[in-house]
Amino acid sequence: MDGLIETKDLVYFYDGTKTPSLDSINIKITPGKKTVILGANGAGKSTLFYHFNAIAKPHSGVVLFEGEPLKYRKKALLGLRSKVAVVLQNPDDQVFESTVEDDIAYGPTNLDLPQDEVKRRVEDALFQTGLTEFRKKNTLQLSYGQRKRLALAGDLSMKPEVLIMDEPTAGLDPQMALDLMELAEQLHFNGVNIVLSTHDVDLAYAWADEIHVLRKGKLIYSGPSEGFYSDPVQVHMTGVMPPSMFTVNKNLAHMKEIPEAPYPRTETQLISKMVEVKKGSLHIIPLSEDIVSKVTDSTDISVGVFGTASRGLLVENRMKVDYLFNGFESCISDCMNGRESILVCDTDCVDLIKNKIVELKRFGTDIEYDVRS
Amino acid sequence: MKTVIIGANGAGKSTMFYHFNGILKPKEGTVYYDGKPLEYTRDALSDLRNKVSIVVQNPDEQIFSSTVEEDVAFGPLNMSIERDEVERRIVTSLEKVGMLEYRERPTVKLSYGQRKRVALAGALACEPEVLILDEPTAGLDPQMSQEVMELVNELCLAGTTVIISTHDVDLAYTWAEEIHVLRKGKLIYSGSPEPFFANTEEVALSGLVKPHTFSINSTFESLRGRDEAPYPRTNSQLLAKLSTPDAKIGVIRMIPFDKEISEIPQVCGNIGIYGSRTRRAVRESKTRVDYYFNAIEGCCLDAMSGLDSVLVYDIELESLVRDTISVLGKFGKVPEMI
Repeated sequence: MDGLIETKDLVYFYDGTKTPSLDSINIKITPGKKTVILGANGAGKSTLFYHFNAIAKPHSGVVLFEGEPLKYRKKALLGLRSKVAVVLQNPDDQVFESTVEDDIAYGPTNLDLPQDEVKRRVEDALFQTGLTEFRKKNTLQLSYGQRKRLALAGDLSMKPEVLIMDEPTAGLDPQMALDLMELAEQLHFNGVNIVLSTHDVDLAYAWADEIHVLRKGKLIYSGPSEGFYSDPVQVHMTGVMPPSMFTVNKNLAHMKEIPEAPYPRTETQLISKMVEVKKGSLHIIPLSEDIVSKVTDSTDISVGVFGTASRGLLVENRMKVDYLFNGFESCISDCMNGRESILVCDTDCVDLIKNKIVELKRFGTDIEYDVRS
Repeated sequence: MKTVIIGANGAGKSTMFYHFNGILKPKEGTVYYDGKPLEYTRDALSDLRNKVSIVVQNPDEQIFSSTVEEDVAFGPLNMSIERDEVERRIVTSLEKVGMLEYRERPTVKLSYGQRKRVALAGALACEPEVLILDEPTAGLDPQMSQEVMELVNELCLAGTTVIISTHDVDLAYTWAEEIHVLRKGKLIYSGSPEPFFANTEEVALSGLVKPHTFSINSTFESLRGRDEAPYPRTNSQLLAKLSTPDAKIGVIRMIPFDKEISEIPQVCGNIGIYGSRTRRAVRESKTRVDYYFNAIEGCCLDAMSGLDSVLVYDIELESLVRDTISVLGKFGKVPEMI
């Protein structure tokens, strides 16, 4: 199968340097897989991304998008960048316009889309990133986290097929980081291919279906995370540490004399695998206009949120929410403790949540749930 | 006390630090050092800053000199310390952060992680009583973060009071004896980390999340019908707690490193190293090592899984290493140290 993005013998030097920043890279990004590019600072992650949407041109070798070699003419570039969008690590490298909505409109306007369509896309992007209330705000008045979301909104307004995120959670608070990763999961589930770079191994491990590891400009591993982390020498030479979850599972499995596989990636998966859980139940409530009347206000039942739109609406309506962030994990954790829990989610996330519940079965927990639409 | 100031971006962590060494003067209220109110005269401030050093988050705000050694010498020279003593301090502080071989390098040619370490060396060269580190691991690779935290532990052992600010709850939980939580400019909690993290609502309102080890322990123990306390702060402590009384615990072979590295027994089991001197010696001798970073934890985890391991460490860190391993006794069995 063709890779979504592929490079063949890609070599790149920064001006005035003798050692290549990218050295004969043959990478294949699989369509539909949550992909992470992992590596220490200076390993070449950002440089590689600049090749994916032709900000940088290789000194030798080729970059292919959907099987076709990239062309570097102006018109071809515009077409490519509407399909492959990069969210840079530092939002200040990306946010230029004076107001939030102007900044988001910049990309689609440049694509010569009809005004109506531009307007619609700006609305969607504002909504997806939870920035609607800030639309008229001056971009200089936004906090770092808000600017980071604005940069993302600008890319989303291009309706890209591939969204590349360079260190998306760097510098963010824990809640904001969770919020962003949930949004990435939501986008991915709805058909956007997400490739992200990070040196945060815990984040990478929880998220990735497939990882590509860079070390000093060379690609040294492509495949599932476990294959890489099971090789301590490689992990060490790459400048990272094994993820905490991987280590705990390995040692607990050893201690309990059970197999390391299946590999838990989340706390609820780990707990399912290691102890007998109780039976609670989860009520999934997709977001609707009358959401307030649907959520039972009971102290016995916890309420969590999944999805940016739901989070916005529940906060706006001042509803009592126990888990505004990390809602899925927290509600499931309550269910495993024998309690009842409500998870309010965006309408396009219901199947995603069902998939996550099915995934838990591999670790031994069969969560009872219903969908109340 | 190992102290952490924790809070979301914009909660006021850095602003508070700037009051601790008199960079900022409060509009109202008083800041005390050693029980005495700060004075804001030039002499008093320079005296204070010799005792209270801040390493800011972004090293570029702190590094001004053109070479590494000049930058590190800046503080001590300002304290009118003699040239010989300044030289000694340059060497020891650069050695501690692993940057001695870069002493003549231009600071502009360093990577972000290297600049961060030079900024730290500059603070160490003042030999402060209190060292304040603002987000010390932000932007660093996982291994480099470990190295910085190991160094911090060495400083604590040597008697320096270290205060760290961070929004990394996992780091805070593993390291801190006492936390102070800031939210929108208000101090909302001071004390040991557990009561704060147990309060789901307060944690959420502060823009934070619960540390992984904390929440895994809560769920495990509630399902097993056991007490959440004692609270494990590391994975090995969690494992010790979950281990059964008849489980086999591995042995940790302890090798204090003084001058020679030749005597590492090439036995089965993983080899870990701890301390900056050992790390340097091992790098030079190219000995096989399995845990270059976070080695005490690596060996403890092995022991909990029933595996023997070897731990080589700087001899002056003996008590720190033994104490860290012995903490496992609060949770379960302590591996035998031979």
